[in-house]
Amino acid sequence: MKRNPRLIWALVVVPLFCLGDETPTMPEATSAAFTKSVQPFFAKNCLVCHNSKLKTSGLDLEAYNTATAVFQDRGEAEKIVDRLRSGQMPPKGRPRPDDAELKLVAGWIDAELDRTDPLTKGPLPALARRLNRVEYNNTVRDLLGIETQPADDFPPDDSAFGFDNIAKVLSVSPLLMEKYMVAAEKIAHVAVFGPDTRSLTTTYQQALPRRMETTNLVLVKPPTDYSMTDYDITGLSMPGSFHVTHRFPVDGEYDIRMAGAGYRPPGSEIGVMTLWLDGKQIKSFDVLIDVPATGFEYRPDHWDLRIKVTAGEHTLVAAFPRQFEGLPPLYGGPNPSKLPISRERDPAIGIRHLEEDIAKQTVPELIERAKLEVERAKQQAALPITLRKESAFPGMSMTQMEVIGPVSSVQHPSPASIAKIYICGQPGGAHPAGCERKIIANLARRAYRRAVSTEEINQLVAIFAAGQKRSGSFDDGIAVALNTILVSPDFLFRIEKSDGSTSAAGEYELASRLAYFLWSSMPDEALLQAAEQGNLHKPEVLNAQVRRMLADPKAHALAENFSGQWLETRRVKSAHPDRERYPDFDDYLGASMIQETQLFVQEVVQKDRGVLDFIDGPYAFLNERLARHYGIKGVSGTEFRRVDLTGTGRSGILTEASVLTASSYGNRTSPVLRGKWILDNILNSPPPPPPPNVPSLDESAVGASASLREQLEQHRKSALCSSCHSRMDPLGFGFENYDAIGSWRTQDGKFAIDSSGVLPSGQTFRGADELKVILKQQKDIFSQGLTEKLLTYALGRGMERSDRQAIRQLVAQAAVNNYKFSSLLLGIVDSPPFLRQRPATALAAAVRTEGTR
Amino acid sequence: MMITRKHLQRRTFLRGVGASIALPMLDAMVPAFAAPATRKSPVRLAFVYVPNGMIMQNWTPKGVGKDFEFTRILKPLEPFREDMLVLTGLSHLKGEGVGGDHARASATYLTGVGPGPKPAASSDVEIDISVDQVAAQAIGSQTRLPSLELGLEAAPMVGSCDGGFSCAYMNNMSWRDAKTPVPPETNPRLAFERLYGGFESNSNPAIQERINGNRKSVLDYVNGRTQQLLGTLGPSDRLKIDEYLTSIRDIEKRISKNEHENQQLVPTVEKPTGIPTSFVDHARLMADLLVAAFQSDVTRVSTLLFGKEASTRVYPELGFSDSHHPVTHHRGRPELIEKTVKIECHHLEQFAYFVKRLKSIQDGDGTLLDHSMIVYGSAMSEPNNHLHYNIPVLVLGRGDGSLKPGRHVVYPSPKTPMTNLYVTLLDRMGVHIDKLGDSTGRVEHLTDI
Repeated sequence: MKRNPRLIWALVVVPLFCLGDETPTMPEATSAAFTKSVQPFFAKNCLVCHNSKLKTSGLDLEAYNTATAVFQDRGEAEKIVDRLRSGQMPPKGRPRPDDAELKLVAGWIDAELDRTDPLTKGPLPALARRLNRVEYNNTVRDLLGIETQPADDFPPDDSAFGFDNIAKVLSVSPLLMEKYMVAAEKIAHVAVFGPDTRSLTTTYQQALPRRMETTNLVLVKPPTDYSMTDYDITGLSMPGSFHVTHRFPVDGEYDIRMAGAGYRPPGSEIGVMTLWLDGKQIKSFDVLIDVPATGFEYRPDHWDLRIKVTAGEHTLVAAFPRQFEGLPPLYGGPNPSKLPISRERDPAIGIRHLEEDIAKQTVPELIERAKLEVERAKQQAALPITLRKESAFPGMSMTQMEVIGPVSSVQHPSPASIAKIYICGQPGGAHPAGCERKIIANLARRAYRRAVSTEEINQLVAIFAAGQKRSGSFDDGIAVALNTILVSPDFLFRIEKSDGSTSAAGEYELASRLAYFLWSSMPDEALLQAAEQGNLHKPEVLNAQVRRMLADPKAHALAENFSGQWLETRRVKSAHPDRERYPDFDDYLGASMIQETQLFVQEVVQKDRGVLDFIDGPYAFLNERLARHYGIKGVSGTEFRRVDLTGTGRSGILTEASVLTASSYGNRTSPVLRGKWILDNILNSPPPPPPPNVPSLDESAVGASASLREQLEQHRKSALCSSCHSRMDPLGFGFENYDAIGSWRTQDGKFAIDSSGVLPSGQTFRGADELKVILKQQKDIFSQGLTEKLLTYALGRGMERSDRQAIRQLVAQAAVNNYKFSSLLLGIVDSPPFLRQRPATALAAAVRTEGTR
Repeated sequence: MMITRKHLQRRTFLRGVGASIALPMLDAMVPAFAAPATRKSPVRLAFVYVPNGMIMQNWTPKGVGKDFEFTRILKPLEPFREDMLVLTGLSHLKGEGVGGDHARASATYLTGVGPGPKPAASSDVEIDISVDQVAAQAIGSQTRLPSLELGLEAAPMVGSCDGGFSCAYMNNMSWRDAKTPVPPETNPRLAFERLYGGFESNSNPAIQERINGNRKSVLDYVNGRTQQLLGTLGPSDRLKIDEYLTSIRDIEKRISKNEHENQQLVPTVEKPTGIPTSFVDHARLMADLLVAAFQSDVTRVSTLLFGKEASTRVYPELGFSDSHHPVTHHRGRPELIEKTVKIECHHLEQFAYFVKRLKSIQDGDGTLLDHSMIVYGSAMSEPNNHLHYNIPVLVLGRGDGSLKPGRHVVYPSPKTPMTNLYVTLLDRMGVHIDKLGDSTGRVEHLTDI
């Protein structure tokens, strides 16, 4: 039966909306309490600023002269409660109100807000959620065994509330629809017939380290992470090594072409370049030394190698081992060169030639250029030989890697795809009667993540038959049916059926909620079966499923997608630290930073640690590159391993390079950004956006004429700025010992770092360790913030008033359980917003379902 | 499917592959395709760029005017003698400076403005609009794409590049304004999708018909299913699914429209799958796409970068494995000069292919080449010491009768800015501006001796 949608509007939606318009009369007691306690409280504590004349921050509490007036603007009332509860208001410097009075007023506002909330009756509806790019990729992977990440071609998803899986903003533009159509055709083809085997070239490039660039007259900055006698002799963890993770489409042979640059001073012995595949050295090449007489700096070369690999991801690393060996003795490296020392060229001759050139020129631009060249040559001549550009040792760097192939390969579907599609028959082979129906029913059930009706299967089988008829091939028919499934709204959207009540969500809906929350992917067979049997709502089944899912490698999605957005570390990928100031930052260091944070989150999740570990857990996951970046000894190689951080000046995520980089500008640290980051992500009280027309910082003066701290203090003198900056800046100052890519430092330019601070509460600290102690006292605030973010991510919508009760309970429960991660996570999965269904939808037409397995 | 005679004729112009019907194409393309053949052919403007300068003694022809001799590098263009202007003496003096010459070269080439700010001062960019974008902004609204930027070297560099300048100057040559680059597309598949949408097509009509049939049944099902679904949804979900349904219908409409007019809607290239391994294949494929774009009037303005400045591409097909940039710093060594010249000839051969394709296609009262102005060249002359004056410049085509090709014209060097040529060519596109970058006026002698 099909219902009239209009009727449903009338039945379900209108009454809910009406609640918002016609608030039931306010109880007598509430008005009485307003006159007795609330109004006097406002007068005593707030009216000094929020009166009808000043209207500080646009709030005039004088106008709040009746109890009803307080709730005229619900948003404003919620803000008032928040500010009072968090202690932000009244501001520092004003007398603190009596605690009991404050609680009474806040409780009064809360109670009335709750009473009149149109949606208190149940959690807000989550809209139909379109799969975002990550979810699409993962779902295609789990549905069909295809790992090509087709959604990378789609336009980026919009974000809201800090996440890119928010139903409301995930729209379908005609452009995206076309991409869906194209991708579905291609995926169906690859799944049934196998990946394309034509030879293609993929080029990876990385910029030269700054110290090797032509205009860089002297070494920009001595390397801090290594020295000539203490460095990674494999070269794998040295800046200039090239780390590439490539997805090979099919088993077969591929050509790898590598290009490098760099030079060794005259008189050096031959160098070496090595190629590593999946952690094993597979080949080494000589690096010829040829410093040309004209002083041209680059000596690029390239090397080719054919390798044989299986389909899937492999890591390739090209590195220069033992870089500081075989140099002329002058350089002080180990095992110096035994070759004769080459004669030093006389720079004066070059300068004379250049000066002669000037005399010949008539065009002003060309004279200007020649003069600059003379100046540059003179600067060089004044330097000691080891620092001169023509002979200094800037290191070696790989700049390009190409993967070309497959060299030759026969197209066939992968075993993973065959296993997932051909539950009967085989590709290109014989098929028992009714086989197509089995295959299609199985695909549709998994793709739609629910039981499918006989009618749905009939329609898809008809599409199969038409496709098969067109070409005469069974496999073509399957591909068309699969193509259809992949563009159907049932696949692209998670549409939750509802019986109109606020009772439990359907079993399949719950399975999908779990799977996309913890895996960013579709439910697996075990989950679907639990749903089919109607068991998922049983607490013990739910609990066991969640624990099973967290132990699965797919739960890495939580670390990657949730924490990458919560901690904002996704930004590291697009961060471009100033290469003048941070000459050793490269893609490998950036990728290592992101990996470190993901492993930390994974440890908390999988080992079920307390979430306060995020603030000061004394351990980290490091490879050699990061360990050297942190100045931690004894970690060698590219493997990440757990390292004890006791005594290293680091702990938790706040002093991880990823977070420190994500909350900095490219050319300097920003106590403001870092302070804001902590307010957003640790203290759960995001500051409002800055007002327009605020004077900005004098960038050029930082570190030169005034310290950053002095400048910010200047900034804070303005009353306009101080209400927020007095909250942000001190928090950020606590981390000033870490530079914009997270290295330890004690100086900024010519100024010594001062990492002390005074918080609005009056608490003082010296340095990050002491600040972390203070932050860690805010256990409930931190776990509430984390809970809200997790819930936002899990539900795909912003938090509403109706969620508050659940959040309060979750936080209380977490406190009892020592803030263990499982307490939060299991709590969320077991909370009404996660378990209940949307109240505002119509009945779906009852469908008879067909058993599909 | 029916194939008209006209269709078959067109197919014979295609290299290797047959014609194909790509479904669907965007609505906006249809008027261009469906327009009667009597319309006046528009003038097309393209800039084809090669990096790392030129060995000028093997480039500059002997003799001026009509009686010039083809040099070794220009040789591949000899069949098009009557379609080409060789222009000598033009300069990009804003490219002069110390250090970062490749960034300077790339930045100035189409803008006549040096890159700013000073090296390494900041990751900011400061430049000005490029000549192609001036044209695109003036006439681009008449075509589906205002302009088409293509390149043959993928993987943009990040951080700071040559001379500590922002890499944006090396990765891009087209600039919408002082801050906004228009990046080149290097993947032929994505370039094709920009032109024709993303759908697969097949040159075998029988297979294509099958694909169309499949596509139609997919859309029919999805359309029906979505309407059925809408009836079961609450109002908030309805909004989402309505949006989806609108997009589906949009695509259905385009497909059925194209089926009715399918004889008109012929992309002249088959959809590529990715970046070909060989440089030659890649260059020709991009040339085919650009010809197709001009032919079907999808755009009238384009840039095609054979390489990025300081390109270190290796050309194994030439029989040696040196990479481009280092050999151009030949330090006077004959064997390195020889290799540089070989690479430069190789580029000209690919360019000649593009010219040949343009000349082979009938367009209104002439050929596509007759209605085009194709500038070929590099921003530097002698690469060994990075000279930015007296740069190599060719203009192919007749600009719909507004150019008189078949000559070698010499301008006073180094004081004739390259941008003077650009401003003069823009006039012929009907785009009149006073100044571009460092231009000081117009160049003469494009139509006379």
